[in-house]
Amino acid sequence: MSIMSYNGGAAIAMKGKNCVAIASDLRFGIQAQTVGMDFEKVFPMSDRLYLGLTGLATDVQTVVQKLAFQLKLYELRENRPISPKTFLSVVSNVLYEKRFGPYFIEPVIAGLDPKTSEPFIASCDLIGCPMEPEDFVVTGTCAVQMYGMCEALWQPDMEPDQLFECVSQALLNSVDRDAGSGWGAVVHIVEADKVTTRRLKARMD
Amino acid sequence: MTERYSFSLTTFSPTGKLVQIEYALNAVTTGSPSVGIKAQNGVVMATEKKQKSILYDEQSIHKVEPITDKIGIVYSGMGPDYRVLLTRARKIAQSYFLQYQESIPTAQLVHRIASVMQEYTQSGGVRPFGVSLLICGWDNDRPYLFQCDPSGAYFAWKATALGKNHLNGKSFLEKRYNEDLELEDAVHTAILTLKESFEGVMTEDNIEIGIANEEGFHRLSPSEVKDYLASIA
Amino acid sequence: MATTVSCLELPKGGFSFDNCARNARLEERGLTRPKFRKTGTTIVGLVFEDGVILGADTRATEDTIVADKNCSKIHYIAPNIYCCGAGTAADTEKTTEMISSNLQLHRYRTGRPNRVATANRMLKQYLYRYQGYVSAALVLGGVDCNGPHLYSIHPHGSTDKLPYVTMGSGSLAAMATFEAGYKANMKKADAMQLVRDAVAAGIFNDLGSGSNVDLCIIGKDMKVEYLRPFDVANKKGVRQGNYSYKPGTTAVLSKSIKQIKYDIVSESVQEDMDTS
Repeated sequence: MSIMSYNGGAAIAMKGKNCVAIASDLRFGIQAQTVGMDFEKVFPMSDRLYLGLTGLATDVQTVVQKLAFQLKLYELRENRPISPKTFLSVVSNVLYEKRFGPYFIEPVIAGLDPKTSEPFIASCDLIGCPMEPEDFVVTGTCAVQMYGMCEALWQPDMEPDQLFECVSQALLNSVDRDAGSGWGAVVHIVEADKVTTRRLKARMD
Repeated sequence: MTERYSFSLTTFSPTGKLVQIEYALNAVTTGSPSVGIKAQNGVVMATEKKQKSILYDEQSIHKVEPITDKIGIVYSGMGPDYRVLLTRARKIAQSYFLQYQESIPTAQLVHRIASVMQEYTQSGGVRPFGVSLLICGWDNDRPYLFQCDPSGAYFAWKATALGKNHLNGKSFLEKRYNEDLELEDAVHTAILTLKESFEGVMTEDNIEIGIANEEGFHRLSPSEVKDYLASIA
Repeated sequence: MATTVSCLELPKGGFSFDNCARNARLEERGLTRPKFRKTGTTIVGLVFEDGVILGADTRATEDTIVADKNCSKIHYIAPNIYCCGAGTAADTEKTTEMISSNLQLHRYRTGRPNRVATANRMLKQYLYRYQGYVSAALVLGGVDCNGPHLYSIHPHGSTDKLPYVTMGSGSLAAMATFEAGYKANMKKADAMQLVRDAVAAGIFNDLGSGSNVDLCIIGKDMKVEYLRPFDVANKKGVRQGNYSYKPGTTAVLSKSIKQIKYDIVSESVQEDMDTS
């Protein structure tokens, strides 16, 4: 079994029209045994910047703390909010520092630029290779399923409501085909003036 | 272990002064003058670069140098000390870029250079830098002008003068400066400020000028400087 | 843990091996380590009459999954030098970034454009130091005061200087195309076509390579044309149906909205603070 699927979990981010979505499942397991059903894998980093982390749960928590520390230091030092692109660079460097003994996590980033409100999504592999596609990013034990769902469901310029249905259905249907993730989901829709957080009704098996 | 045997040269006098820092400032005030002026659409800095002999090659060594595309630096005081700080500043700027993939804001760079200068007033086996720096840059859609002193103190200026005759230079600038100065006028004012205390004939070979504006920072070529000098005379 | 970070300190830099012992223990217990994102890749370079052309495909893979369909493999090194990367994607990305930064400092020091030989030597010395563990296979091309130059650099630090080179898993297909079509002093249009064909041979015959062809042409006047994409070799079909779900399809347990107050005010606030 891969270390990446020891605890299970999935995260996804999508670009819409002047908005972004980021979502994760809620399962925390130890191999086949489910231990928790309230393990959120998406973390608010600042007002309109969210980070999703999947992989080994211990590393998820370590890395999110490390990044929150770096981010707060930046904000205090520079007296301004960080742009998502800059944050991606920080994430990438934190991971690449451990090139020869990596954290077993794969991050996704979603947010709006603090100045221009431009939507931004990105992901990294576990040693910090950055990737900024135009449409969606997925990570976790059911990444393959999510790739399939997103390729079919995603379309450009979705409004917030439409984006919510798209990201939710992509995630729910993917985790339902994966034993390692599921047990509820949480979805954040980030817009210029508000963030809407919804918890989804999902299969609990 | 080495720290145990190296002592800081900068120790307090009974009156609470750090005389080494005051001596360093003396090295600055006896150094050749520099001027910086912030305008509406950019910043200019200028410095005197007089050589002791006509045998010197004037255009191989520069006092006005770029740190990044957008930030430039000049000094009054000791040339060798300046180059140490210049190298450090460029490295600081590059490592910031590698970390954040965005070029360093001028205020951040100044803060970090000032920290280096402060470190040299408190560390063992070193002496303070014998230079004051002028750092100018353009970011966040506006100009910046800072001064860094040997103590590690730093100031944001609208316009200032350093080095020999800096008090005269400053009072000259106080009379000349106004808030809606254009860059072209600022260059003229900078040259005139240097001219106040300049001995001999000012040519494109014995002054240097740097400009930061929307397009970034660059040092004026001798022929550009010559044009400015001609338009003043 | 020696990770006290002061805002006054420069980032230390360098790799950290803190997790290695733990990771080895996890592997001993039968858990397998995951694969890194690779650029399976076809990258090529060719010297023509008037400069150098670099070419690359745009597929990134994680094991057998296509992770990125349009990734950029031609990296900026200096205004007159570019570099294609194959191998572990993070390694090529970070190695070229670092060398690019060092060359910028070198330019400030020397006050003139970098030579390609300098970039080549810095890259090979860096890679040799890591014994091949930094797995970056590079095609380095550029123009300097001595004319156009093209190098291939292997992960262990060995380099070749040749008129035409290929690298990556599609290198065999690409080299076959070059061997058949290369002539000395080619015209620009012919050279561009040959480079496209070489990369396309990789895209269609090698599973690790795919999607589009990117080109970067560096002329003898040091002018750079970065064509991304130069050729969309694989167009995605236009979707006929519409698969969107009706609003309200997804069952929601709870909903909370967080209003974000600042927005338009932000710019003026920042300006005041930055001067401090």
